[in-house]
Amino acid sequence: MTNPPSADTIVLQVDGLHVSYGEFHAVSNVSFDVRAGEIFGLLGPNGAGKTSTLSAVEGLLRPQSGKIVVAGYDVQKNPLHARANLGVQLQATNFQPELSVAEILQLYAGIHGVSLTREKLQNILASIKLEDAAKKRFGQLSGGQQQRVSLIIAMIHNPQLVLLDEPTTGLDPQSRRQLWERMESLRDNNHGILLTTHSMEEAEAVCDRIAIIDHGKIIAIDTPQVLIDKHHDNPEVISVSRKGKITLEDVFIGLTGRTVRS
Amino acid sequence: MSTTVIPSNRSVLTALLRADFITQWRNRKSVILILLIPVIILISWKGLVDKLGGAFVLSNCIAIGLNAIGLMGYSNTIARDRDKGIFQRLRVAPLTAWSIMVSRLTVQLAMILLVTTAVFVAGIYADNIKLSATGYALGFAMAFVGGAVYLALGQAIVGLIKNPETVNAVTRLVYFIFIMVGMFAELGALPPNITSVVKWSPYGTVKHILSTGMQPATWNQHSTIALLATIAYTIFFAAVGIKWFRWSTK
Repeated sequence: MTNPPSADTIVLQVDGLHVSYGEFHAVSNVSFDVRAGEIFGLLGPNGAGKTSTLSAVEGLLRPQSGKIVVAGYDVQKNPLHARANLGVQLQATNFQPELSVAEILQLYAGIHGVSLTREKLQNILASIKLEDAAKKRFGQLSGGQQQRVSLIIAMIHNPQLVLLDEPTTGLDPQSRRQLWERMESLRDNNHGILLTTHSMEEAEAVCDRIAIIDHGKIIAIDTPQVLIDKHHDNPEVISVSRKGKITLEDVFIGLTGRTVRS
Repeated sequence: MSTTVIPSNRSVLTALLRADFITQWRNRKSVILILLIPVIILISWKGLVDKLGGAFVLSNCIAIGLNAIGLMGYSNTIARDRDKGIFQRLRVAPLTAWSIMVSRLTVQLAMILLVTTAVFVAGIYADNIKLSATGYALGFAMAFVGGAVYLALGQAIVGLIKNPETVNAVTRLVYFIFIMVGMFAELGALPPNITSVVKWSPYGTVKHILSTGMQPATWNQHSTIALLATIAYTIFFAAVGIKWFRWSTK
């Protein structure tokens, strides 16, 4: 467990990342950084290289080349130190279905070396409005409740960097807004957040900066508003605009194309 | 760079073991089934005890239980958890891959202990089979050695096959073949050449070391070779299972 860093400290540095699967180059020369107190969005169509990039940051795959540093620790050289500073919320629910919410929290507290008393456990559950869910199995919770539990587990060791992989997929508007507020609260406490999402509305609403990745390469990186301003005269962007006013989604489709990816 | 404290192995293993034992407890129906099959066979073979000997009957029943643990229990749990991404979620935490497997295998060792104890106890009360203290001690030791070969075989199957439904089907098939062919061969119902193959199969060698382990006076050169063969099978299956195992099905 570590203390949150001061604002603007770089908590994730990705430099010249290359990931290949045989002849296929999933990620080519990708570089970006995430600072403390920042929500950084990684956007891209299906198969653009987002998941490969995230997997490399998580240390789940070994890149062909490039450097990834989490909270000052090289992911390849000091994987345990890097992961100790990393909180992860994956897309799917990845907990043993036999365990209750309290047991899952105790498991992840234990493997992060965090002491979790009964009182502390109740406080954690109360903080996500799930006081009565301690004995429920994870699968018995609603989608929104599951996401809240997943996020609190990702944060149980107070990591400097949080990876959120499409966290609002399938949530109703209320749950989505609530999750946005939690993300913003984490940002306010100087955690760095790397968010992947297919919702341009979400990216525009919560992200401080955005990188658009396509065919394994970053094709644009900046704040949402600067990206819109920079590309609002682009004919491709104008041609896909539906409401007269250029949105981030127009910029995204203008830059990555209309073709549906598999 | 900030100072980061890595959780101790003890803290990590305690948390993993707690969760894995709870998971096993919540799956107690399958645990009961694994316990019941050898015990029921033991009770139903009561009439054969005088003819074939207590150690023969006990060793067959324990071998059946060990098969069920390694092939039906362990491999299917690993295949399911891998498919659901449970391992990937654990692997993004600051723990080593070996600690995940040590925890999983510890639960299976407890199962081996449980099944062997249940068969020994049922043997005493149902069939009046009593062994010497050394016989029980070696029986337990051989059960762990024999259990390892089926756990390694289960690991090899999940290493070579990714789909959990296919893993389930293959382990059931292998279990069925081992049990049926093994028992028929032991009872002399198969041709000599097939009986010889079965004798040196993972079922035959495990059954033999269990049987002679329970009667230390009968331990001979064949037993030593069977023990070495069992260890060789374990190393081979474990090597295949570790080399080809992937933590994710994607």
